[in-house]
Amino acid sequence: MSLDTLHVEQVVQGIKSREFSIEEYISQIFERIEKVEPKINALVTLNKEEGLNRARRLDKKIREGKQSGPLAGVAFSIKDNICTKGMKTTCASKMLESYVPAYDATVIKRLMTADAIIIGKANLDEFAMGSTTEFSRYGPTRNPWDISRVSGGSSGGSAASVAALECTASLGSDTGGSVRCPASFCSAVGLKPTYGLVSRFGLVSYANSLEQIGPVGRTVSDVVSVLNVIAGSDENDHTTTTNDSKPTYLLKERNGLRVGLVTEFIKGADSAVSKVIYKAVDTLEKQDCNCEEVSLPSVQYALASYYTIATAEASSNLARYDNIRYGFDMNPEGYEWNSYFARARSNFGEEAKRRIIVGSYVLSSGYYGKYYMKAHQARSLLKHEMENLFQRYDVLIGPTMPILPFKIGERIDDPLKMYLVDIDTVVANLTGMPAISVPAGFAESLPVGLQIIADQFAEQTLLDVAYSFEQAAKVQRSPDL
Amino acid sequence: MTTIATKIGLEIHCQLTGVKSKLFCRCSSDYRGKAPNTNICPICAGLPGTLPLLNKKTVEFAAMISLALGCKLPDEIAFYRKNYFYPDLPKNFQLTQYNAYNITSIGVNGKLEYISSKDARIRRVQLEEDPGRLVYASGNMDTSVYVLIDYNRAGVPLVEIVTEPDFIDPKEVRMFLDKITSIIEHLEVCDTKLEGSVRCDANVSVDGGNKVEIKNISSFADVEKALRYEITRQRTMTSREIQVRSETRHWDDARKVTKESRTKEEEQDYRYFPEPDIPMVVLGSEFVSFIKQSMPELPDKRKERFMSDYGLSDHIAKVIIGNKELADFFESAIAVYLSPKEIANWIVTDLMSFIDERTKKEEEEEKEHSLFAGLKVGPEHIADLARLVDQNMINRATAKQILGQTVRTGEMPSALAKKMQANRIDDVSVLTQAVQSVFDMEQAAVQDARVNTNVANFLLGKVMKITKGKADPKIVLEMIQKKLKED
Amino acid sequence: MVVTIEEVKHLGWLAKLEMSDAELQRYTTQIEDIVNYLNKLDTIPLEQVEPIMLKKKFSELRKDTPETFEDRVLGTAYMKDGFVKGPRMV
Repeated sequence: MSLDTLHVEQVVQGIKSREFSIEEYISQIFERIEKVEPKINALVTLNKEEGLNRARRLDKKIREGKQSGPLAGVAFSIKDNICTKGMKTTCASKMLESYVPAYDATVIKRLMTADAIIIGKANLDEFAMGSTTEFSRYGPTRNPWDISRVSGGSSGGSAASVAALECTASLGSDTGGSVRCPASFCSAVGLKPTYGLVSRFGLVSYANSLEQIGPVGRTVSDVVSVLNVIAGSDENDHTTTTNDSKPTYLLKERNGLRVGLVTEFIKGADSAVSKVIYKAVDTLEKQDCNCEEVSLPSVQYALASYYTIATAEASSNLARYDNIRYGFDMNPEGYEWNSYFARARSNFGEEAKRRIIVGSYVLSSGYYGKYYMKAHQARSLLKHEMENLFQRYDVLIGPTMPILPFKIGERIDDPLKMYLVDIDTVVANLTGMPAISVPAGFAESLPVGLQIIADQFAEQTLLDVAYSFEQAAKVQRSPDL
Repeated sequence: MTTIATKIGLEIHCQLTGVKSKLFCRCSSDYRGKAPNTNICPICAGLPGTLPLLNKKTVEFAAMISLALGCKLPDEIAFYRKNYFYPDLPKNFQLTQYNAYNITSIGVNGKLEYISSKDARIRRVQLEEDPGRLVYASGNMDTSVYVLIDYNRAGVPLVEIVTEPDFIDPKEVRMFLDKITSIIEHLEVCDTKLEGSVRCDANVSVDGGNKVEIKNISSFADVEKALRYEITRQRTMTSREIQVRSETRHWDDARKVTKESRTKEEEQDYRYFPEPDIPMVVLGSEFVSFIKQSMPELPDKRKERFMSDYGLSDHIAKVIIGNKELADFFESAIAVYLSPKEIANWIVTDLMSFIDERTKKEEEEEKEHSLFAGLKVGPEHIADLARLVDQNMINRATAKQILGQTVRTGEMPSALAKKMQANRIDDVSVLTQAVQSVFDMEQAAVQDARVNTNVANFLLGKVMKITKGKADPKIVLEMIQKKLKED
Repeated sequence: MVVTIEEVKHLGWLAKLEMSDAELQRYTTQIEDIVNYLNKLDTIPLEQVEPIMLKKKFSELRKDTPETFEDRVLGTAYMKDGFVKGPRMV
């Protein structure tokens, strides 16, 4: 049996009922990795030895009849900007080339308590800044559906490894669409939770007021299983909500909901993409959902607001990388401190440098009111508009990406052109609302994702619609690799 | 001669040594004496992925300071990032507070009366974190080929107090700083005797000229010196019609001068913005009353209480509350034996002179430690002494003698008194005999005494001599006067 | 709206980023494009829009209980007597 094609609950059940051992399953996973990894380059670090050891330990635990966690044995890839104690965490940057964290991120602690297994660290755009994983020091991650094309980003490695069956689920991070974009491009399910639902302790900060760690899986069910383990308040993160210390989400269908198709999103998409989305609308209507086109005028400010806030926060978050306490090998003796800092930091990639400069620009003396404050006003406007819409609709939908996955190298020399692909996804980060991308179908043999957005902390509604759609649409899951 | 108007403003940094953990992490805030980089964690070392966790107690303490300085507390407070690079800054930004866009610091617009009818306005009070420490390998910045960095202090909580430029001479500044010290000590938020726990930067302008900032003053004691030097420097320049430049100067403690900072080629820009990882902290409507309730008694209130409850004079009360240790000593002593005026007197006169004597000896080393260090006297000793005097067991002269010994050896005054057999003779028969002997010996004086009452003291002296000072002078004098009338 | 090379150079100094002349040229044009795009924010109608602020109650802040972090924190090989070695100061 191809254990690498199983979903989370199937793995958990299979192990519980002794259909196969964890070691068997993990071994198959590593075989699969060996086979496809040279083609897609989704993983930065492999955790083979420890992964197999842990598998054996867990098998023993289960044989002895001891209690095991809800994700016992499940193979995860972890985006390489999430801290894993004892395992290199590079953020795909030279600046963290030899960095081994002294602590586990909260989400990792929770996965470990649930008895999950980490098979490796997933590739990303450097410091999560990008939409294609082309800005990685380790080379781009290729789309498993067409390896001449991008996998999306910045969590390209997470989505590609899941789509290519190198793992059963993954954790990525989403600042402006970084979980949903690659999920859409790779035909996977990717969720950005409500801001504050999942702890960011241990997530290397890019833009702290916008980002969340999110699960990636092949099905909505996978995403629900993982969310139930990682969600909930954390005393180590002041921005997590204290309302619900351990929320639980159910996997269920729900029909007859009110759905709003955002005009600005659908009209801004390529026709190949919008065709698939309109078909998705039909599918939803067949589920008794009432779909209407609705306008969200403030979308016109969304990208400008996003890039102002994200670059501003990034310019400050990346300041700590001066190579003094951690980083890469460069002897400080012989340097005067300003020169050392500047020389060490010249090892950031282009996109990272650009964002640091833009961020410093928008925060610089005299510009605070013009950019940063206005960007926050735009956030407010957008939020009020969407909250109003959520009085009339249960969810808002649209294409996750306005275009199909493009060729590697196509947009890399035009930063602004690259930024424009985020137009549909940044809205959810700016407002802190939850959003998910589910496979909607294919156009020109390339994946198209449907994005569903709900009001803050309305994850259950979001997941209900996603699941209902998924069950009705029945989109193929795995590429031929 | 035209008076040259001097304007001085202060920026005081006070470590909250009274809290147990750092401002944004759980590391101990007590870093002194620890081996380098042994008092750190991923948060204060600025490791990737870490988030600041605001210490509740620091907000309480900072609020107490704000209230004590008459400030207004906002309903919500926020933290800002001050972005700049420096090797002692683990994140290359400092978490602090900032009021340019909205009032978000813990206190604003306060006022403190530091001399009678002289107020200094407090612009703001804010919380911020201390950076790490740089040490130079060769002991000197200019000759070290590398710098050594210790992050133990990074993240220790500081309260910054900024005043308006309301001071017109260094003496006023000194008095203000004394008052601040007294308040901080009474609030128990900072132990000002610890090295580096309180620092003060100053800014000064002369005759409407440009303002000069003076940094790197390491103790309150040096502030006056630095200011005097700088004012002289500015006045000299003004008298020679040279314009004083607006700049930041460093106080060189070794040479006792202010020095120009090395010129920077570019202009710094801190790019302040609100810290996204710390939400706005809502203090709540009950907050101010909660703080007021749990705050230790402020020195001024304590002085008022000493005057009303214990009948101390304004002058004596002022001296006692001038130092919290002294005031605590006083209250402990009267708890043992309730004789406030007597005890206060002993403290303010004799005890203080012992303290001053010892302090003078140590001036060279400028060590700041407990007021009573080196003296073996505690509140129970003074209480005991006061009781002996009140009950007429010893006279004042003897009491002073005993105190001197107690301070050196720590022996209880009543034990010493017994040893010295200093208990007065109040046996009437013994005293009558003594008086009779003197009357017999000093017949001429006795005649004089019948006319001039003052001479009775001469006779008293003679009786004291015979009894070797052990007679109770009060009783003896009564006897002498009675006897004079009789014959 | 022009972003000059001088401005980018100054920002590079502020952000401690060493850039080659070629990089400076390239970035300046790209950044100018980006900043021009960000100027869209000027078109927002200036009504009284309150920025969204996350709030936290004073009672929910961290308790003042100290804890020692047991594991090794610093990752540099360049240390001396427990201090971190850094480049020299001026």
